[in-house]
Amino acid sequence: MSKTERDPLGPGFGWRLRSELDRVQPRFSTPRYLNPTKIHAWRLAPAALALALTGFLGLTAYAATGSANPAVWTERIVTVVHPVPPTPTPEVTPTPPQPKAAPAPKASAEPTERPEPTSRPAPTASPEPRESPEPGDEGSGSDSNDAFPTPTPTPGDH
Amino acid sequence: MGEGYKPGSREDFDLLYRTAYPRVYRTLSAILSDPEAAEDCAQDAFVQAFQAWKRWRPDAPAEAWIHRIAVNRAISYRRSAKLRSIGEVLRRLGSPGPGVDPADAATRPDLLTALRSLPPKLSAAIVLRHYHGYNNREIAAALGVSERTVGSRLQQAGERLRAVLDSPFSLEQPSAFSSEDREYYVED
Repeated sequence: MSKTERDPLGPGFGWRLRSELDRVQPRFSTPRYLNPTKIHAWRLAPAALALALTGFLGLTAYAATGSANPAVWTERIVTVVHPVPPTPTPEVTPTPPQPKAAPAPKASAEPTERPEPTSRPAPTASPEPRESPEPGDEGSGSDSNDAFPTPTPTPGDH
Repeated sequence: MGEGYKPGSREDFDLLYRTAYPRVYRTLSAILSDPEAAEDCAQDAFVQAFQAWKRWRPDAPAEAWIHRIAVNRAISYRRSAKLRSIGEVLRRLGSPGPGVDPADAATRPDLLTALRSLPPKLSAAIVLRHYHGYNNREIAAALGVSERTVGSRLQQAGERLRAVLDSPFSLEQPSAFSSEDREYYVED
């Protein structure tokens, strides 16, 4: 008490304060520190939240796959996720409208090497190619329509 | 000092609770006007102390250590209560206030009302000195400040308390907007 300063409240203040505070009777309830549930309840909140989230995800996965086996969930995830990589490839996506035209670009890309493109436009496009190769190839047999079976072997061979 | 408490000992903490709880509760009842709030804060302080009991070092009295936790808890409570009261005042803006119940004012001890009108750090210093008989060093340990700050706070608390007690309106309840800014000038 060496550093106590002069009491500005007068000498009777301590006695007055004691008499008033002694009248305050604390209620002796059960010490709260003895109740561990209340102490740790709020600390377990993050764990409880994570558990609830996991349960929700499990229920969602169960509802989506119809199986309670987590291995099936991963398979489902793989099957759902796996088809995604092939779809974004730009070569496949434009092909659906061009599956019929797909041989055509190939043919157009290689018109000089193979004789097929030259033979195919012949039957489909117009009679001009038919007329031109047939008379050109056969030479003398131009006046008869009986030569119809003959072109099938010859263009295939060339 | 010389209490003989062993950190981490459950029996020693039970003993500390039995001896210190009434004193801590009375300190808080001089800070908080609500008895239930005082009990809540005191109990919370012992819960917090119990969790840190293994780490307690007997370089300061255990009761001063508990007081420090409890006073900090009471300060937090008063701060949140103040915010609530501001919201309440804004909500009741324009309507007449509740006023002071004359019967309540007659039975309420005048000195405690005046103490509760002070900032918590000042009223705690007054109670620790004049009720518990702490010296400046123990008050400094209990409030977590320097001894110089303790002396300054005691002087300031005495002046403000005397002003409140000398006032003819000393029975009025503390204002919701009671200024607590002066206490910050004395901190280190």
